[in-house]
Amino acid sequence: MSVLINKETKIIVQGITGNMGKTHTGHMLKYGTKIVAGITPGKGGQDVHGVKVYDTVLEAKEKTGATVSCIFVPAYFALDAALEAFDADLELVVIITEGIPPHDEVKIIREASNKNIKVIGPNCPGIITPGECLIGIHPGIIYKPGKVGMISRSGTLTYEVALALTNANIGQSTCIGIGGDPVIGLGFIDCLKLFNNDPNTEAIVLMGEIGGVAEEEAAEFIKKEVKKPVVAYIAGRTAPPGKRMGHAGAIISGGKGTADSKVKAFKDAGVQVADIPSQVVDLIKQVIKIPAKV
Amino acid sequence: MKLFEYEAKTIMGSVGIPVPKGQVIKIAEEIFNLKLNYPVVIKCQVQTGGRGKAGGVKFVNNIDEAYEVSKKLLGLEINGIKTSSLLIEPKTDIEKEIYIAITLDRNKKSHILLGSSEGGVEIESSSEIKIVPISGNYNPYHGRKLAKLMGLDQVKLAMVSDIINKLYYLYENHDLELAEINPLVFTKDGKILALDGKMTVNDDALDRQPLFEGWTVNHLTDLSERELRAKLAGLNLVELKGKIGIICNGAGLTMATMDLVKNYGGEPANFLDVGGGADEGRVKRALKLVADNPNVKLILVNILGGITACDEVAKALKTFARENPDRSLVVRLLGNNQTQANEIMKGTGIKSIDDLNLAVKEAVALGSKN
Repeated sequence: MSVLINKETKIIVQGITGNMGKTHTGHMLKYGTKIVAGITPGKGGQDVHGVKVYDTVLEAKEKTGATVSCIFVPAYFALDAALEAFDADLELVVIITEGIPPHDEVKIIREASNKNIKVIGPNCPGIITPGECLIGIHPGIIYKPGKVGMISRSGTLTYEVALALTNANIGQSTCIGIGGDPVIGLGFIDCLKLFNNDPNTEAIVLMGEIGGVAEEEAAEFIKKEVKKPVVAYIAGRTAPPGKRMGHAGAIISGGKGTADSKVKAFKDAGVQVADIPSQVVDLIKQVIKIPAKV
Repeated sequence: MKLFEYEAKTIMGSVGIPVPKGQVIKIAEEIFNLKLNYPVVIKCQVQTGGRGKAGGVKFVNNIDEAYEVSKKLLGLEINGIKTSSLLIEPKTDIEKEIYIAITLDRNKKSHILLGSSEGGVEIESSSEIKIVPISGNYNPYHGRKLAKLMGLDQVKLAMVSDIINKLYYLYENHDLELAEINPLVFTKDGKILALDGKMTVNDDALDRQPLFEGWTVNHLTDLSERELRAKLAGLNLVELKGKIGIICNGAGLTMATMDLVKNYGGEPANFLDVGGGADEGRVKRALKLVADNPNVKLILVNILGGITACDEVAKALKTFARENPDRSLVVRLLGNNQTQANEIMKGTGIKSIDDLNLAVKEAVALGSKN
C-alpha cells in the first residue's frame, strides 16, 4: 500500500528525448516503474530505452492507458506541456522542471485545480513508493519499503533523511518531494491527508524550510486532523532575511517565513521537531516499532 | 531583478501611466544641464527601501543647492548599497497620497492587487491595506473593486482603476513579481501622478523578456563581488559572516548543513548550492569562489550524489587540493559513483567522512583553530 502511485501505475514521460528525460527514464525503468510512453512533439515513432515516443499526450494516453505524466521539458515549455497533460485528463502530473516563471506556475496550478487534477512540483524530485514505483529523480537505491511517509520541499535533504532512516532499518511507504517553488501543486496539507488515510503509513516525516507559511498551516492542520505521529525538520535556521536560499520559495521576506516561526508552530501543535536531520531517525524510533535487522 | 525607480517610471510612462518628467544624473556636474524649473526633488536611485529615512531624498530651490546636494547624495550608502545615480524631478503640489501594488500571493496561489488610501513611507506596517485576489484572468472590474475598497469614488475611482489596468498589463506581460506605485498622488490641480515606482522582474523569466536583455549585471548592486561572480556563473552563493565555507548540492541540504555547523558551535561563511548534476568544472568554480573569501578558514564540502556524480566532484577536489595545499578541506561525498571518487582522492589527503554529523564536527573543530 502507498499513496498516489503503486506498482500498477502507468506513466508517460513528457520530454523523454531530452538529456534529463532520457537519463531518468533509464533510472526509472531500472527501478521497475511502468513507463509506457514518451512524448516529444515531432519525434513520434522513435524509441528511448525501448519506450515508444508519441507526438501528443492524448494519443499516448489512448494507446497505453497511462494515468500519470512526469514532465522534464525545459522551463519555458512546461506550461504548455502541463496544460496538454491536463487536457488529456490524466490523474496526476509530476513536474520536475526547475526555473518555471511564477506567472506560468499560477496558470498551471489554477487549471489543474479547475480540472481536479493533482500536480506534484514544479521544481521537485518527484515521488517514490519504495520497491514499487519511482517517478522523478529520487536515487531509488537509498529507499526501502516500510511504513514512514515523507513530505519535503527539498530534494537532497529528503535523500539525506531517507538514507538515515534506511540505515536504521526504517523503511518508507511513499516519499513526496512537493517542490521548492513559491507556487506548487500538492502542499503539505494535501499530502498529510493522504498519509493520514493510508493504512500502511504509521508515521509521517515533514521536512520544511524557510519562506511562506505552509509549515505554519500544516502545524495547525496536524493538531486538528492528523491521528498519526508526525516528526518535522526545518532547514534554514541560519539563513539571513531577504536572501533567496537556492530555492525560489526559500526567502524570509518582511519578517515572515523564518525557521523560528515554523519550529514554534510545530511545537505549539505538539509535533516533535528534530534539531538536526539525523535526529529525525531518533524521534521516529520513539513512535514506531522497528523491525529487527535480518 | 529589481529595477531602478527611473527605469520603472519610464516603463510605466510607456503605457500611459502619468509620471513626472525627470532627468537622471551620474556625475554631480550634470546638474548644470538640468532642464527643469526649481524647486526640484533629488532622489537617490538604489534598489532598496528606506531611502527617505536614510536622507536619500532632498528638495532644493536653486542650482547652488542642487549641486551641493548632488555631490553629497552621489555615493551615499543606503542599507549598504552605494548610490551611483540620482533622479531629479519637479516638486509636485500634492493633495492626497495613495498606494497601489500588484504581486504574487504564494499561499493563495494567485496574483493580488493591493491598495491603501494612505500612501507614503510606512505602508508596510499600515493596517489599511486592501487586497483583491485575481482568481482567474484579470479584468478591469478587479481594479474598480480595489479602488472602491480603498474608499475612492467617482472621478478618483475611474482615474485609479485606469492606472491599475495599465500596471497590471505591465505586471503580466513583463513577468513582474512586484509592480508598485507608492505614492500615487492626486495633485492640487486635479491630476494623478506616479511619484515613485518599483518593479521587480522575475529572474527565471528574464530570458524571455527582450526588453531586459543584458540588464542583469548592472542590477545586482546588493550582491558582494563574489556573489555577483557566482550568479553570473550560474551558482547560488549567499555570503555570511562566519569562517566555515560551505559547498553542497541542493538548497535544502545546503541550508541544513549551515544549520548543523551552527548547531555544533561554528559559524557558516556562506550558502553555496552547486545544484543538481554538477560536473568537475562547476565544483572547481564553486571551490574557487568560497576560497576567495578572506574570512574562510576551512571549506566543508557536503555532496549527496543523486544526480550528481561523486567522481566529478572528486576530480575537482583533487585539483583544488593540489593547487591550494594551505587550504583545509573537510569532505563528505556520498552516493552515485562513490567508489570511483574514493579511488580518485587516494593519496591527496582528502578522505570522505560519510557520517554528516561527524564531518561537520570535524569542520567546526578545524575551523575554530587559529
